[in-house]
Amino acid sequence: MSEREFVIPIGPQHPALKEPANFMFKVEGEYVVDVVPRVGYNHRGIEKAMESRTYIQNLYLIERICGICSNAHQTCYTLNVEEVLGMEIPERAKYIRVFMAELERIHSHLLWLGVAAHEIGFDTLFFYIWRDREVVMDLLEMVSGNRVNYAMPTIGGVRRDIPADKIPEYHKMLDILAERTKYYKGVAASEKTIMNRAAGVGVLKKADAIRLSATGPNLRSCGVPNDRRRDTPYLVYDEIPFNVISYDGGDQLAQVLTRVDEVFESVKICKYCLDHLPDGPIREKFSPLGKVPEGEAVNIVEAQRGELIHYIQSRGADKPYRYKIRAPTLANIPSLVERLKGGYIADIPIVLAGIDPCFSCTDRMTMVDEGKGKQWDVTGEQLRRYGIEWYKQ
Amino acid sequence: MAMEKELLKSFVQKPCTLIYPFEKLPPAKGLRGKHVYDPEKCIGCGLCARVCPAFAIEIVGGTGPKCEGLIVDLGKCLFCQQCEEVCPRDALKLTEEYELAALSHEGCVLVFKRKTPEKKEEEKKVEQPA
Amino acid sequence: MVQAVDLVQLLIFPGFLFILAYAMFSEWVSRKLAARLQNRVGPLHTGWKGILQPLADFIKLLAKEDITPSAADGFIFTAAPLLIFALPLAALLLVPIQSIASLWSYGSVVSFEGDLIVVLFLLTLVILSIFLGGWSSSNRFAAVGATRAALQMLAYEIPLGLAAIGPAILYGSLSINTIVNNQVKGFMAFLSAPSIFALPVAFVMAVGFGIFTICLLAELEMRPFDIPEAETEIVGGWQVEYSGKKLGLLWLGRDVKLVLASALLTSLFLGGPAGPAPIPPIVWFVLKTVFCIFIVSNLSVLFARYRIDQMLKGSWQYLVPLAIVQVMAVIALNGVI
Repeated sequence: MSEREFVIPIGPQHPALKEPANFMFKVEGEYVVDVVPRVGYNHRGIEKAMESRTYIQNLYLIERICGICSNAHQTCYTLNVEEVLGMEIPERAKYIRVFMAELERIHSHLLWLGVAAHEIGFDTLFFYIWRDREVVMDLLEMVSGNRVNYAMPTIGGVRRDIPADKIPEYHKMLDILAERTKYYKGVAASEKTIMNRAAGVGVLKKADAIRLSATGPNLRSCGVPNDRRRDTPYLVYDEIPFNVISYDGGDQLAQVLTRVDEVFESVKICKYCLDHLPDGPIREKFSPLGKVPEGEAVNIVEAQRGELIHYIQSRGADKPYRYKIRAPTLANIPSLVERLKGGYIADIPIVLAGIDPCFSCTDRMTMVDEGKGKQWDVTGEQLRRYGIEWYKQ
Repeated sequence: MAMEKELLKSFVQKPCTLIYPFEKLPPAKGLRGKHVYDPEKCIGCGLCARVCPAFAIEIVGGTGPKCEGLIVDLGKCLFCQQCEEVCPRDALKLTEEYELAALSHEGCVLVFKRKTPEKKEEEKKVEQPA
Repeated sequence: MVQAVDLVQLLIFPGFLFILAYAMFSEWVSRKLAARLQNRVGPLHTGWKGILQPLADFIKLLAKEDITPSAADGFIFTAAPLLIFALPLAALLLVPIQSIASLWSYGSVVSFEGDLIVVLFLLTLVILSIFLGGWSSSNRFAAVGATRAALQMLAYEIPLGLAAIGPAILYGSLSINTIVNNQVKGFMAFLSAPSIFALPVAFVMAVGFGIFTICLLAELEMRPFDIPEAETEIVGGWQVEYSGKKLGLLWLGRDVKLVLASALLTSLFLGGPAGPAPIPPIVWFVLKTVFCIFIVSNLSVLFARYRIDQMLKGSWQYLVPLAIVQVMAVIALNGVI
């Protein structure tokens, strides 16, 4: 390590990060030479906690892995359990689930836009976007009863119906959202100071994006139009017409434009769902204390940040035997490291925010020894002692 | 310069901030808020306590006719509405009241007393002479 | 022999006490303006429409724990906030506000030929204190913030000086008081006998006003040039280790710098506290400085933050040549008028 190098720790507490993670930046002046990421600050033992709760109780635990991806996690979980049960849910329930998923995508992307504006110091745009985000939160409150953690999907269908007399009001609110997002797209495209900070910043080449397992809008902003909703459709995505947005460029401006256009697509999908809601029941019967037969299932869902993979293994009890979650941000971190190298310190916040990190979803734990190529598990007590020793050093 | 028109427009308009608690937005219909309990309808089955993901409901006295009531700890409650969904008699419901802040843990705990069959008999006997 | 009048002038009005009160008032104006432009309310509950909020913030900071890091250079660490607070306060004594002798005349507490240069020099010293304060904090983020502050000074000091020299050449004096007086004379002459040179003079002065405003935004470390203090990148920048009383002094010093900046803008370009009687000069001073604070706040909320290399490049590519052209135009006009 040359004597001119200087290590700046970003995290675990830092205004650029909304959730704890640690990045050690080796800098020379303002120029970033290398970055070492560390995640795991948000590990809460959710996979273990799921093994001691019934399937209905797990519905609400899995919702709280992350506040902004909550519906995506619930969608994947219910798909898994229903696959193991062999249950077919009514069509109306599938449409309502797609409606909620796309509403959450709008919510998440608007939140991200505001946060990205804040990271480049443009607080005014941040305030305005979050003021208009209230529209989608009010819509979610009217549909589901809560502004975050909507708890709409359940095993067998959805919990609440969308009454027909409310649909015109929902259409109006979706139109307001589309109009305001169009204004913000205009601002992002024409404001020179945003161009300065976002165009050509944190570039990732297409080949690198594929090699480093980028996923979601992170991947689509590098010119690779992969989208699980179109490639392996789940629920009713194969019946709904929509476009997969992708931009060439691979810089932060492409990330902004990709997500803004995805908001427009989500509004279109929501309006289609509201117009084409089939009649019928909204849920199949599943007893809250019911048992699930033996089996396992894997499902991949296109969450707001990329591919979300859940795996379930049931051994016939009323509690799952093993549940595994792979969040998209874990797959996005190698490409994040590649984007950060060679930039300036001032670019760090916008590039970090650019992949839309959700470290709450990410943290799972396993012990790996790089040198010896071993992998093993630790008990809670060993972890506790290790933590105490580490801080003593 | 792109936002200047919007900024000047906001300058002459009323700010979008609601001065809470002097101005409040009405909650949406169906908001999941504070619990309300019907002591007559409850049969003491205990399903709400078994299904609660946060283990926030405690049955007092035992299940069945021995049940004396519920204790709902709003500090643990997720407001998921699963207790309302599973109740066979619609005795426990969630209202739209969301202003639930309290200064101590006791303020967060709701104690519901159930009208046991003996109590109902007593009340009938008291009413009849009148 | 120090007279009572001098003491009152220095300490109370238009001296320190008035400047401190006015600094808190201008912080409130700036926060309220920025808030209304962003469609929110700003300070509201402390006092009438939140006017006591800066005072409340200052008192709160005085009550907080004041920590000096053990690795920091204690002497410089403590001296920097004192300098950052005291230097603009001293510079404001040279700017004409209101004369204490009569209600309808204005003048600065101290005035001599060349005090414009002294004011600019004091502003440079403030930036050096910022650099020293950040460097002595022995914190990685503070070191990055301090170096950014020094780099930013390299970018805007030249255009700031050149834009200030423009009015000095036009009105033939390096004393701010005399510049204001000559502006009044020139305006009166224009009213009585308008000449065709008024338009190019006004245009060149407007360009100078624009350059001076942009450089003042960089001086005051407001967006889009709040690079040394970039909150999302390096947390607090050079201020990150300051807390308690020292931070209170830093923020009060920032407000006094805001008053100094707007007072300089009005004195050099808008005619200072002069205005038609029967309104006393102090009211004109307040009106004009509030107008300048409005322009500065509006520019501050309109843009995202620049990167330091973009700021340096932009300043040396655009601001400095424009400032040089402005000075040459002023010299040419001066020779012709």
